[in-house]
Amino acid sequence: MATSVLIGAWVAAGLTLFMFSFLYKDNPFFRFGEHLYVGVSMGYTIVRIHYDVMMKSLYGPVAQEGKWWLLVPALLGLLVLTRFIPKVSWLSRISFAVIVGFGSGVAIPRIISSNILQQVQGTLKPLLNAGSSRFGMAELNALLILTGVLTVLVYFFFSIEHKGAIKIAARIGVYFLMVYFGAAFGYTVMARMSLVIGRFDDLILFASRDYAYASVVLLILVTLGLLLWERGSTGLTTGGQRRTQTPPA
Amino acid sequence: MRELAGKLLRLDRRAIFVLIALATLIPLLYPVGLPIRVSPEVRRVFDHIESLPAGSVFLLSLDFDPASKPELYPMAVALLNHAFRRDLRVVTMTLWVSGTGMAEKVVSGVASEYGKRRGLDYAFLGYSPGGANVIINMGQDLNAAFPADHYGERTADLPVLRGIRSLRQVNYVVSLAAGTPGVESWYVYGKEKYGFELGGGVTAVIAPGLYPFLDTGQINGLIGGLRGAAEYETLIGMKGKGMAGMDAQSATHFIIIGLILLCNLFYVVAPGTVVRSFDGPQDGPGPSTGLRTGSPQEGQR
Repeated sequence: MATSVLIGAWVAAGLTLFMFSFLYKDNPFFRFGEHLYVGVSMGYTIVRIHYDVMMKSLYGPVAQEGKWWLLVPALLGLLVLTRFIPKVSWLSRISFAVIVGFGSGVAIPRIISSNILQQVQGTLKPLLNAGSSRFGMAELNALLILTGVLTVLVYFFFSIEHKGAIKIAARIGVYFLMVYFGAAFGYTVMARMSLVIGRFDDLILFASRDYAYASVVLLILVTLGLLLWERGSTGLTTGGQRRTQTPPA
Repeated sequence: MRELAGKLLRLDRRAIFVLIALATLIPLLYPVGLPIRVSPEVRRVFDHIESLPAGSVFLLSLDFDPASKPELYPMAVALLNHAFRRDLRVVTMTLWVSGTGMAEKVVSGVASEYGKRRGLDYAFLGYSPGGANVIINMGQDLNAAFPADHYGERTADLPVLRGIRSLRQVNYVVSLAAGTPGVESWYVYGKEKYGFELGGGVTAVIAPGLYPFLDTGQINGLIGGLRGAAEYETLIGMKGKGMAGMDAQSATHFIIIGLILLCNLFYVVAPGTVVRSFDGPQDGPGPSTGLRTGSPQEGQR
C-alpha cells in the first residue's frame, strides 16, 4: 500500500474519532478537529477557485483566446472588494446592483413557472382527468393532495379569524403539516444515521491490518488523551483529592 | 411505573449514543442481508438509463461535498457503473467547489474499472462558478461555461463532447445534490428551458421536498438517501456501500422507533417527570447539571 494512502487513512480515522469525542463532551480533540476542518475547507476552496476560476475561466480565455470582454465581470468582481476601503466602498454598489438585477431577472420568471404554475397545474390536472376514467387510487391521491394544499393554505391565511368552517379547514391543514413534519423528521434521522454508517464503515476498514490497525490504535490514544484531559481539567491530585481551584484574578 | 420512567428519562444520554453505536457497528461487522424493495421513483431513473441507446449523452452533476459522501458517493458509483456498462458518453461536472476533488476521484475511479478513456469515453468538466447561472450558460454554450475540463484540456477538442454544443444535445441529466445549487436549480434553470430529461439523487434530508416535483414530472425519478443508493445497487446487481449500510440503517431505525415509543409511553403514564433543564450553560452532549423531577406544570413546558 502506498504511504500516502496509509497516512490518509490514519488522518481520516484520527479526525473522525476526534469529532466523535464530542459525544462524550466538548474537549480539545474535538476543537482541534473542528478548527482544522474549517481551515482545510477554506484553503481547499481558495486553491480550487484560483485554478478553476481565475486561471481556467479568466486568465486562459483572456490571454490565450483574446476574450477581453471577460475583464468586465472580472472588474465587477474586484469592485466588490472595495467594501474593505471605506473611501471608495460605494463602488461595490455597482457590482451588487448588477448581481441583484441580473439575479432577480433570471430567477423570478423561472421560479414562478417551476415552483408555482407547474405545481398548481400538477395539483389540478389529475382531478381534471378523473372524469374520463373510473375513480381509482391515483384520483384519491390527487384529491388528498388537493385537500392538503387548500387546508394548509387556509391555515396560513391570517387575515380572517379562524372560526367555523375556516377553523375546521385550518385544523385539517395542521394534521397535513404534522404528517409532513413526521416524514421530514424520519428522512432526517435516516440521513444522519447514513452519515454515522459512512464513518463507521471507514473506521472498520481502517481497523484492518492493511492500514496498520489505525482505528484501534487511535481509539486507544484518543481515549487515553480524554482521560488525561479529564483528570487535568477536574483538578484531581495524584492522591485523588479534589483541589480547590482559585478563581482567575 | 412513574419511578421507572423517571429513572430511564434521567439516564445519561450517552447511553443512547452507545446503543446507536452498537446498532450501527454490529450489523456492519455481521451483515444479515435484509431484503431491499426497489421503489418506483428509483426504478424510473434506472429504466431511463436502460432505455438510452449506446453513445447517448449522460450528464452527471455531482453537486455535493465530502460532508454528504456517505449518502451520495454510493449513488454516484452506482450510476457511473450503470452508464459505463451501457456505453453511454458520460459527461460529469460539479457545481460545488468543495466537492471537486471527490467528484474527480469517483469518476476517474469507476471509469478506469471499465477501461474507459478520459476525453474519449468520458469527461470531467470540473467546477465552474455561478451556481444556477452555469446551467443557463451550459444551455446556451457548453464550451463557454467550461472552456477547459478539470485537467486543462480544451472542451471544444474533446471527442466525447463532439456534437454537443449545449444542454439541448444532452439525453439525460442526473444531479446528485446535497442542497443548492442542485436538483432544484437543474429543473428551474435547465430542464424546462432546454428540454432534456432530468433525474435526481439527493440526501434523505431534502428528499421529501422534491416529491411534489416528481408528481408533476419536473423530475422523472428520484434516488433518496443511502436507501435510494442501495435500491439502485440492487437494480444493477452491484454490492456496494449502499447495500452494506442497509442492515445498520434498519437496526438504528429500530432502536430510534423503540426509544420514541418508550418516551411517548412515559409521557402518557408519568406526565409529571421532567427530564432535564436547559437553563444552565452546557458544553456538549454530556449530562447536564439540571437533572431533576418537578411538578406537572413544569413537565408541560
